[in-house]
Amino acid sequence: MSDRIRVLSVLVEDGSSTLTKVAGMIRRRGFHVRAITVGPSGEPGRSRMTLQIDAGHAEVDQVKKQLERLVEVVEIEDLTEHDVHSRELVVARVKASAVPELVAKGARVLEPGSVSTTVEFAGEGEEVGAFVEELRRHGNLDVVRSGPVVMRRTA
Amino acid sequence: MTGADLVLEALEQEGVDLIFGYPGGANLPIYQRLPEHPKLKHILVRHEQGAAHMADGYARACGRPGVVFATSGPGALNLVTGLCTAYMDSVPMIAITGQVNSTQVGRDAFQESDVIGATSSVTKHSYLVTDIAQLPRVIHEAFHIATTGRPGPVLIDICKDVQMAEAERTPRTALSIPGYQLNGHVRLQDAKVAAEALAHAERPVILAGHGVLLSHAEQALLDLAEKAGVPVGTTLLGIGGFPVKHPLSLHMTGFMGTGWCLKAVQNADVLMMVGMRVDDRVTARLADFAPKVTTFIHVDIDGSEMGKNVRPHIELVADARNALEAMLPHVDSVDDRRGAWLTQIDAWREEHPLRYTHSNGHLQPQDVLIDMYKRCRNEAVVVADVGQNQIWAALWWNYDRPGLFINSGGAGTMGFALPAAIGAKFARPDLDVWCVAGEGGFVMTAQELSVAVEHQLDIKIVLLNNFSLGMVRQFQDDFYGGVRSQVELTHIPDFVKLADAYGLPGVRVERLADVGPAMDAAQRTKGPFLIDFRIDPEANVYPIVPLGKGLNDFWEAPQQ
Repeated sequence: MSDRIRVLSVLVEDGSSTLTKVAGMIRRRGFHVRAITVGPSGEPGRSRMTLQIDAGHAEVDQVKKQLERLVEVVEIEDLTEHDVHSRELVVARVKASAVPELVAKGARVLEPGSVSTTVEFAGEGEEVGAFVEELRRHGNLDVVRSGPVVMRRTA
Repeated sequence: MTGADLVLEALEQEGVDLIFGYPGGANLPIYQRLPEHPKLKHILVRHEQGAAHMADGYARACGRPGVVFATSGPGALNLVTGLCTAYMDSVPMIAITGQVNSTQVGRDAFQESDVIGATSSVTKHSYLVTDIAQLPRVIHEAFHIATTGRPGPVLIDICKDVQMAEAERTPRTALSIPGYQLNGHVRLQDAKVAAEALAHAERPVILAGHGVLLSHAEQALLDLAEKAGVPVGTTLLGIGGFPVKHPLSLHMTGFMGTGWCLKAVQNADVLMMVGMRVDDRVTARLADFAPKVTTFIHVDIDGSEMGKNVRPHIELVADARNALEAMLPHVDSVDDRRGAWLTQIDAWREEHPLRYTHSNGHLQPQDVLIDMYKRCRNEAVVVADVGQNQIWAALWWNYDRPGLFINSGGAGTMGFALPAAIGAKFARPDLDVWCVAGEGGFVMTAQELSVAVEHQLDIKIVLLNNFSLGMVRQFQDDFYGGVRSQVELTHIPDFVKLADAYGLPGVRVERLADVGPAMDAAQRTKGPFLIDFRIDPEANVYPIVPLGKGLNDFWEAPQQ
């Protein structure tokens, strides 16, 4: 991963303006979003955002510092240089004939069918990338891919 | 009580005495209840931008947050420039805007606009209030956020149905804003290292910004500078943070700063930057900024300023006053080459004095400002607009105290001066207030003369009228191939008649001999007074660093 990219786990207050404020800060400081995942956090009223942000022309430490200025942002953990679990999810509709090979590579069948079968695959970013290549080789019919969710490995 | 009452009561509890505002459809419930709250004096402005600048001038002059009311849609959007001005210069402000009914939001209702979306880049924080249960908590939170840490404007957008809703008054509870933890960000552990680096440097310089004024660090700065024998320059917004006549003063830095300050910065080995953003107007060409520095020390309350433009070797993330006071005890011995450095700076001061042309028969702006200074000394507030007038007002006054010079530094908002001067006068009725503006910026917000006349505010308006957008004209002459494009204001109003139309006295001055009598008349007159000074249309600002060049390349005024 480029050293211009920061991986941040951001705990935010739920609210109608939170996402636009985070996105607005990223845009106006000249950063770029590479990936973003949002979901409920363990705390009521708060969500967890996992962001992969390219610092653009700015100093890389500005990404965390600028986001910290937002009152909606409660806590940021910079996971960029840490040992982490980084998981992504792919859901794909594939030809039934491709299923055995994909299952052998770790895919799970969600919905079998005579013409097409829906499978899912979760893994680290590179594994998911390889799996998507595999899907392409088999001529997949449709594919959706999530951004990463990231957690620090326990020491 | 209604939501409107909860808002107004919370403002009273926050000690608000003055509101600058403009009513309209979406904030009528608040205006309906306003007469029931006589402690809140309301100033009816003539344009919402004027309200924002008045609140800004008010806050800068007295330190308390300025409060603004506006209605939804165009009313709120007219605040944007004023919010941006306050945001860029870290001025505390509370803007309360009406929004359409919560059930109408998103339906493109009459005078609906996405105010949070439009203002989030120019506010420190903002709230959309769709439920009366959020009141009055958000009002108190807004004041806390606007006035603490690095100050700034906070906007509260309140749906009309919430203003009309009924709720019981609830006891005030302690604020809990988990995403706004100030103390957790303070880092002062390197105060000793910073103090030693400064004291033991051969050629140290301190640059002081607006943060010094905001944190009332002037005395600590003076103590530190004297104890460590370090010369001090200020940014445009730091003016007043260090007395200009002090032997250690370098006056103003930056791309229109004094020659001796720029020489000092460019030859310094240790440079401490206090309460400032180190923006492009301070550094000029970044790659050439302070090239001999081996140790940059940066003090700022906002940690995101560390390394944003210049990467410091020593960081103190704290209120400027706390930081300077933490450094002070660690200054023990001072480098014995310091005398030579200060002698060198004195030589540069002799070599590169501020000067101007005053023998071509035209009235020079500096003549006007020097006359003004002789009358006011350091007992008046000067509110400048943006452009040449701003820099002349910065350089040709010897400000020795904070709070005497108010201008839009970061945003550079033309039209700021008149409404900001009005706000400053409301904040400090005990001080004379002078508004210095060019004719270009003045006409952008001239409608607020009505407010000055209505309240008979003692504001002296000094128009430096050169019939052109002078700073732009100067840039075009010097940096854009001499092509004068769209800078001549050939059709401007007769300002004496304009003043008369608004109901204030005004005079025109074209000759040096008439400056004194006009100033006398202004000072004798109670209430607002306007002087239209017809100045040399070719007068320029010097020193100036050519665009794209480094601080070393500053140009000086031609020799007489």
